[in-house]
Amino acid sequence: MARRTAQRPGHAAGARISRNGREGISYPFNWIVAIAILDDGGHLLHLIRMDGASPFNARAAIAKGKTAAETRRSTLVWEERIKAGRNSMLGMPGITPVQGGLPIVVDNVCVGGIGASGVQSHEDEQIIAAGIKALG
Amino acid sequence: MKHVRAVLASASLALATCAMAQQPNPMDNVPDKMPNDIPYGTPISLDKAQAAISAAIAESKKRGWKLNVAMVDSGGRLVAFARMDGAQLGSIAISEHKARAAAMYRRETKAFEAGVQGGNNYLLTLDDVIASRGGIPIVVNGQLIGAIGCSGGTGSQDEVVCKAGAESVK
Repeated sequence: MARRTAQRPGHAAGARISRNGREGISYPFNWIVAIAILDDGGHLLHLIRMDGASPFNARAAIAKGKTAAETRRSTLVWEERIKAGRNSMLGMPGITPVQGGLPIVVDNVCVGGIGASGVQSHEDEQIIAAGIKALG
Repeated sequence: MKHVRAVLASASLALATCAMAQQPNPMDNVPDKMPNDIPYGTPISLDKAQAAISAAIAESKKRGWKLNVAMVDSGGRLVAFARMDGAQLGSIAISEHKARAAAMYRRETKAFEAGVQGGNNYLLTLDDVIASRGGIPIVVNGQLIGAIGCSGGTGSQDEVVCKAGAESVK
């Protein structure tokens, strides 16, 4: 997973996601969820809340995607660190340490994040992993 | 000096009383009917919300503008959102705020803008108000099912794009 700083942050990276991002949202599992895509600054770029998904799902999807975009790693990494006993990580600013958020990495540079909420956390991650795969 | 002040104060008080007697406070008016009495309906579907966003973005592209567009449901909660390439970041929250205010207050945010412009500054003390045009409720079959909010340009630009989105749903 790429950890280095984006060479050209901001618009270049944002535009890059958004060109393909919409196609990146897919519904292969027929689960009712909210999905959020954010740029490398952690700013919302695209959001959908499927019929039946709760307002909370929309907020959770944004929070997970933001965590992944800003920390450039899967939210599962955070969840597992805390689960392993590193409780102090709960004090990290703006972190949502729940599986279902992934960084979007293009050419070894993190250009944003994507988050989902609505089904079980590992299923949320399956959905967004499919979305990232669709980016090519 | 004290005496002069006292005289001035009593004179101005008399004037104020006089003025009030001549011009009744419009806020004292009690209308018979409820304003903006639109029932809340079934929350807007994602399909409709996305169609409205697409229509708004098409209008914005046609004019070469870069805006943020937010759709909320009848509860004022986000259903769909899109930020056009190059749209300003500050407007992400503003577009959602406009949509939310339009749904929560069952009127266009332009009404607040006009009210404040007309001197009714008390409007700004109402909860979660945004006094800027570009937030429009989506009313279908007499029921409010959601609202659209646009931000990123001037208020007038935001409103043009917002209208294109709102009208596509009806």
